[in-house]
Amino acid sequence: MTDKNLTIGSTVALPKPELDLLMVDLRKDGFQTVGPHLQDESIVYKKIDGLKDLPRGILSEQKPASYRMIQTGKDRYFDFIPGGQSWKQFLFPPRHTLFTAVRGSKWQLNENDEPAPRYALIGVRACELAAIHIQDRVFLREDFSDPIYRQRREELFILAVNCLHPNATCFCASMNTGPRHRADFDLCLTELDDVFLVEVGSELGRSLLSARTFDLPSAFIQNNANQALERAAGSMVRSMDTSDLPSLLTGNLEAERWTDVGKRCLSCANCTQVCPTCFCWDATDQVDLLGKTTRRERVWDSCFNPIYSYVVGGNTRPNIRSRYRQWLTHKLGAWKDQFGVLGCVGCGRCITWCPAGIDITEEVAAIRAEVKP
Amino acid sequence: MTTTVINTASHSAGYTNKLLVPHWAEIVKIIQEAAGVSTFQLRFTDPEIQNRYRFEPGQFNMLYIPGYGEAAISMSSDFESADGLLVHTIRHIGNVSKAASRLNVGDVVGIRGPFGTSWPLEAIEGMDVVIACGGIGLPPLRGAIYRIIHNREKYGKVTLLYGARTPADLMYPTEYEAWKKADIDMQVTVDRGDETWTGRVGVVPMWFYHFRVDPHKTSVLTCGPEIMMRFVIYEALARRIPSNHIYVSLERNMKCGQGACGHCQQGPYFICKDGPVFPFSALENIFNVEEY
Amino acid sequence: MAPEEDIQSALQKVPWFNSLKTEHFKKTSELAHLRHAKAGEIFFREGDKQDFVYIVLDGRVALDIFVPHHGKVRFYTAEPHDVFGWSSVTPSVRQRTAGAVAVLDSTVICFDAEKLRQFAEDDHDFGYLLMRRLTNVVASRLMVTRLQLIDMFAGPAEYKND
Repeated sequence: MTDKNLTIGSTVALPKPELDLLMVDLRKDGFQTVGPHLQDESIVYKKIDGLKDLPRGILSEQKPASYRMIQTGKDRYFDFIPGGQSWKQFLFPPRHTLFTAVRGSKWQLNENDEPAPRYALIGVRACELAAIHIQDRVFLREDFSDPIYRQRREELFILAVNCLHPNATCFCASMNTGPRHRADFDLCLTELDDVFLVEVGSELGRSLLSARTFDLPSAFIQNNANQALERAAGSMVRSMDTSDLPSLLTGNLEAERWTDVGKRCLSCANCTQVCPTCFCWDATDQVDLLGKTTRRERVWDSCFNPIYSYVVGGNTRPNIRSRYRQWLTHKLGAWKDQFGVLGCVGCGRCITWCPAGIDITEEVAAIRAEVKP
Repeated sequence: MTTTVINTASHSAGYTNKLLVPHWAEIVKIIQEAAGVSTFQLRFTDPEIQNRYRFEPGQFNMLYIPGYGEAAISMSSDFESADGLLVHTIRHIGNVSKAASRLNVGDVVGIRGPFGTSWPLEAIEGMDVVIACGGIGLPPLRGAIYRIIHNREKYGKVTLLYGARTPADLMYPTEYEAWKKADIDMQVTVDRGDETWTGRVGVVPMWFYHFRVDPHKTSVLTCGPEIMMRFVIYEALARRIPSNHIYVSLERNMKCGQGACGHCQQGPYFICKDGPVFPFSALENIFNVEEY
Repeated sequence: MAPEEDIQSALQKVPWFNSLKTEHFKKTSELAHLRHAKAGEIFFREGDKQDFVYIVLDGRVALDIFVPHHGKVRFYTAEPHDVFGWSSVTPSVRQRTAGAVAVLDSTVICFDAEKLRQFAEDDHDFGYLLMRRLTNVVASRLMVTRLQLIDMFAGPAEYKND
């Protein structure tokens, strides 16, 4: 049955194969559909065409320094929790050419005028959407707006997915970012065994969905979905108490715990790479051998890189302790002064992908215990 | 922590706003200062940009040398000088600044800016001013010195304390006479001198012992090695000058100049955007934290 | 003006002396005399026997040490109201460890160090005040020396790299 009476807020029961057709429509509209894909024993985000590219029947299990996938054999596509990549790579590309300069009698500058791709993100989790909102505050400001981010953000299509199986490293509930989506998506799905329950969040979502074949969801289906969502929210084992942040960290810069974590941290920068809100970058010049053409690129950077804080005369953060302290007191401290909110969405990636298994929820609790015994 | 940060700069004039795309400027003159330090006088190749470019003393530009990268260099221009050239004094010790030492008159560099906050010269009108700087800390204050000279009647007693390692390291020595003639009490000191040096030998912070300040109407502007600034601040506070009347210029690894890339952060501040000039009252919680 | 009045009015220009009680002031002025030095005049050389302790009233006196291959390195200049040659008042140092030369035409007050030491011995009240004053002089000199030692203007190549 097709019902054309969709509005923003409507919820329908969409047969799973219809999602393929929806993605075809998106591509016809000029979007590049990108989403989760099973690769290298993990989940990466890349160009996908349809259901066949999604991680079918995969459930994930995460612990500090561990990400494992389990085959369930079911016809389900979104049971996993995302891996070590986030959507920031699309809005804030890891490498981006800014311009090339060619030496002649003067320098000739050629700006990178390539039009930005229009991305349709398939399968955005609530924590990830919260992270995009945080990065909006970083990249789109009154005093400075990043044109690369802005071009990609303006046309972004978001197909959100509610998490039903939070993993052990997730703590979005305590950060008030999930696991359930609230707003700012184009479409939002909750997966059941036979159908996707799809909520309309925007006019674009509505018009795309109205071209599909779907049913009105029965009360049974709605109940199932709600129960699954509630179970999910209740199943989170990790949490972060943010009631005394940022001052707990910014007011205790000489706590012993920093020295302790400084000994365990390898300064490998994994956490900043997988973190969906980290935004530091560098600009490098790639010169050809003759020195005639130089290409200036913006690349991701990390406060854990040893030369990140290099100034003439030395390094203002010369050891791992000071760099780890910078990262955490920024993410859960100074970030709030700068952007109005804390920089953490509780996705848990930094815990899972840290080779030393450092858990920021544990570190914060330890500092709290040290200074307020 | 809520703090008020002074930002008296006008960002919009002459400012390139595409991500990292510079305007080109030609080197008009190069002056050899001390060993390893030279002053570049620049003019934008586009006359329209040259005409509308404005800056406030204390701000900086990002200087781009294709193939090498960018370096943050303070503006040292006397803005009211007739030629309107951009004056940048560069110490040649990093990758980019060393490449700059190989440039000649007529070569072209990229400029982005101006960025950052400026010395609060309007806010301190009517007060006595102590400018305490050392080494390469004088260039960021040169524009402020000229601004004060051009508006001398607006300020009370103006003292300039300047220190360098040796007499050969002094910046702009040919200008001191003119500054003194403009009723600025200039005291120069070096860390060590030879038999021909008839000036002072000592350190800038010591100079607070040699003259009296009225803490109710004195402002301090300081720029130089962080150790020197720390002791200047200490001496100023010891004489009861309020911390919001002591202004410092901080230095961190600047890359974008726009508070976007993250490198120059210290505590909650992006030094390139919330600074580099700060009232010390904004820094009290973070200034002396080691390795922060 | 008689030399005695000369020295007294000179001493009165220096805040510390002005704050002494009358009998201490009088006794101190008896062991002091004024000296006018032209630029280039030497007060003492390294290795000289200690004789006077000095206060600059006007002008500038440089302290220097001879360093082979570098000549005489000036490491401090005494400005008006600065004390130099103070080690002659301390118990153990007996030889000048630096030289002192007038850099500009200068007027200095010279105190007979031996007699000053004796006065401090005989009158412990005065001795305490003198030593307290000298401690301040040494402390501030030490701070200056430390900052010079840190060599805060040195380029990064000269720092140890880690």
